[in-house]
Amino acid sequence: MTAPLLLVEGLTRRFGGLIAASDVSFAVAPGEIFGIIGPNGAGKTTLFNVIAGHYRPTSGRVAFEGTDISGHASDEVGRRGIARTFQAVHVFKNETVRANLHRAAILARRHNPLAWLSRHPHATPDLEGTAAFLGLDKLLDNVAGSLAYGLQKTVGVGLAMMVGPKLMLMDEPAAGLNPSEKIAAAALIRRLRDERGISVLLVEHDMPLVMGICDRILVLNQGIPIALGTPAEVKSNQAVIDAYLGEDYEFA
Amino acid sequence: MIVNGLLGGLIYVIMALGFTLIFGIMRIVNFAHGEFYMLGAVGVLILFGGFGVNYFVAVVAAGLLTGALGMIAERVLFRSVVGEEMPGMIMSLGLSIILQSIVLLALGPEEQTVARPFSGIWRIAGAVVPWDRTVVSISAIVVLVIFYIFLKFSRLGLAMQAVAQDPTTASLMGVESGTIYASAYGIACLLAGLGGALMAPIYTIGPYMGQNPMLKAFVVVVIGGLGSIPGAMLGGLLLGLTESVLSTLMDSTTALIASFGVVLLVVLIRPNGLLGRTVR
Amino acid sequence: MKLRVVYGLILLLAILPWFIGSRYIFHIATMIVIMIPLVLGMHLMVRIGQLSLAHPAFWGVGAYASALLTMRLGMPPLLSILVGALIPSLMALVLGPIFLRIKGVFFVLLTFAFGEIVDLVFQEWTDLFGGNSGLYGIPKFSILGLRLTQIPHYYVLGLIAAVLIYLLMRAIERSDIGAILESLNEDEMLSRSMGANALAWRVAAFVVSAFVAGISGGIYAFYIGFLSPDPFGFQTIVDLIVMVTVGGAGTVLGPVLGAIVTVPLPELLRDAREYQLMIYGVCLIGFMKFAKQGLISFIVDKRSGA
Repeated sequence: MTAPLLLVEGLTRRFGGLIAASDVSFAVAPGEIFGIIGPNGAGKTTLFNVIAGHYRPTSGRVAFEGTDISGHASDEVGRRGIARTFQAVHVFKNETVRANLHRAAILARRHNPLAWLSRHPHATPDLEGTAAFLGLDKLLDNVAGSLAYGLQKTVGVGLAMMVGPKLMLMDEPAAGLNPSEKIAAAALIRRLRDERGISVLLVEHDMPLVMGICDRILVLNQGIPIALGTPAEVKSNQAVIDAYLGEDYEFA
Repeated sequence: MIVNGLLGGLIYVIMALGFTLIFGIMRIVNFAHGEFYMLGAVGVLILFGGFGVNYFVAVVAAGLLTGALGMIAERVLFRSVVGEEMPGMIMSLGLSIILQSIVLLALGPEEQTVARPFSGIWRIAGAVVPWDRTVVSISAIVVLVIFYIFLKFSRLGLAMQAVAQDPTTASLMGVESGTIYASAYGIACLLAGLGGALMAPIYTIGPYMGQNPMLKAFVVVVIGGLGSIPGAMLGGLLLGLTESVLSTLMDSTTALIASFGVVLLVVLIRPNGLLGRTVR
Repeated sequence: MKLRVVYGLILLLAILPWFIGSRYIFHIATMIVIMIPLVLGMHLMVRIGQLSLAHPAFWGVGAYASALLTMRLGMPPLLSILVGALIPSLMALVLGPIFLRIKGVFFVLLTFAFGEIVDLVFQEWTDLFGGNSGLYGIPKFSILGLRLTQIPHYYVLGLIAAVLIYLLMRAIERSDIGAILESLNEDEMLSRSMGANALAWRVAAFVVSAFVAGISGGIYAFYIGFLSPDPFGFQTIVDLIVMVTVGGAGTVLGPVLGAIVTVPLPELLRDAREYQLMIYGVCLIGFMKFAKQGLISFIVDKRSGA
């Protein structure tokens, strides 16, 4: 097996007495689409936020390309080559799609006022090409906030792509989308990996999407990892079935 | 000294409670808060000093008038900027200087005084306590107790508390948000007006008399935690006592710099105040 | 189109004093051009979503510093103004990383406290600053053997500085830096996720805005020739907020308009200060209620940029 792109080791995060994530370990290999699922309150979002640099881990570590990034601030995580998308739409609503993508590129390149002293380590992709890849090329001059919800989420993916990431963290990419948009989102995530070589770590509620596109899946329940494996392995795991019992989930 | 500190503290609490209520509920930093304090004092100056109305009646009337004015100001001015921090600040700054200039035009720039309704002193444990300060302190405590009862036991009070804690629960309480804004701003101004009215016989009255109490309220609220009602109480008493102790130990300039230093420290160490809720 | 008319009008106003030729008009015009860099500094902070009450203090530090550099160290005035402006920016560089961690209300209070402390220092440190009785005997501004003795000379000096700083601020606004600052203000979490160091950018804006405030202070010191702590207190904060609000914070041109409209007011109403306060108050409330984008919104649509 090749060296992992992202390595999470023994990660624990407590809020006061509440343990939101307990001793979680996993690795994302280069070129992998990795999913994290779990019933409500399973600690998925906490785990995501620790990796994205919003919370410090209480213990354990996160390493990216062999470098420890535990507790790094979110902008520092971003500069290492980890982009992220948000569950709700986060775009510059008053700007055109083109201006949005342009801003993402300059935010990444000129990450601080003295940035010309230290060059951004990752080349940022070309704007037109990214828009074409996302199917936004016809909408470049539309104001982002005026687009349909699903398209705004696509713009969000575009913003993350403009950073030139090796790994993209996606927080519920299917949330708020209608069934046909969900299918498009699944295809897009796969193409990110296949055509752009971007590995993906996603947190998601939507079972069919996760089962359909992920290479491997980590299942959390009340902050504790209960299963890790391919979709087929996870689906037949008794602990997983028990955890989801009584919840309204369909295993496709 | 302690009694002076306690009295100062009580007035700060009255000011800070209203200030924190407005911020907690409307996300508006009410720079006009000191001017409502000033209006309360001016009310007493006119009613008690001018027309010879009974002091307590004058205090209550001045407070109610100030509160009513506050409700009108909320409806006409602040409703459109609820939740927008910067426009809210600018709006309240505008109201503040308008009220100052009106009083300046009406009364002139000279500081005025009203006759003390109570005179004499009494002694406790060797300390000399003037009667007027005693009466004002007791009245301030009565005001605070009434406010506390209102918050704890009335439906509106409970709703206001809930909104101050967490704005998203506003609609859940089943009280219309417009009512909450109007009553929060009105009650806050009522408190400020009562504070000013009570202090009228003790300090001189002028158009700019509200600036210092408003600044103190701001400081208290930052120390106690913006939007936190217990924080405002604790912070107000702490500031009143500390100030009175500091001012006997060093000159007022040093005391002022020292108190700003304390504020700086609190803000840096606990950005949400001593009793503030953590916002993520 | 309309925008060109505005530029034309401003140009016309700029040369108007020579046609009228009165000392009084030249004085007002000079005060306007001195205030422009200061209000532009304040405006840069508003652009990053922070209301700084420290700017009158930065202005004062620039004024006292450049006056003292020339008086005590015999520095040439132009150099004193530039070096003098570095002192407030240095203060901003030291304070920024502390103050700018905090947004909104707390920042307002911290900068207010800072301003009060600076004002107290001006008052109390009498050996250096002359205290409340003031600092006298600031020499006239001179450059290359040319001594500026008349008000119109200072008007030209102030006008050059105002134009240069306006162009600098406009360049910042239109550059990538402007886009970055706006992105951070609009959606900090998103901007940071793409790698932007929000604090570093804010500190940079704070430093630049303190620098231009300092320049304004230096020119003011040489023009007035006498400094007291008076102008560097709360009143100037209100003036600046009025200028930004009346002109509009959306573009760099807004505060310039604000300064042109607002600065003459106290001069015109010199005998009726209470009415001035009233007008200020009505302006603040009126614009917040009916035209949050200020005067500039009547001239240009914000989206088209100015």
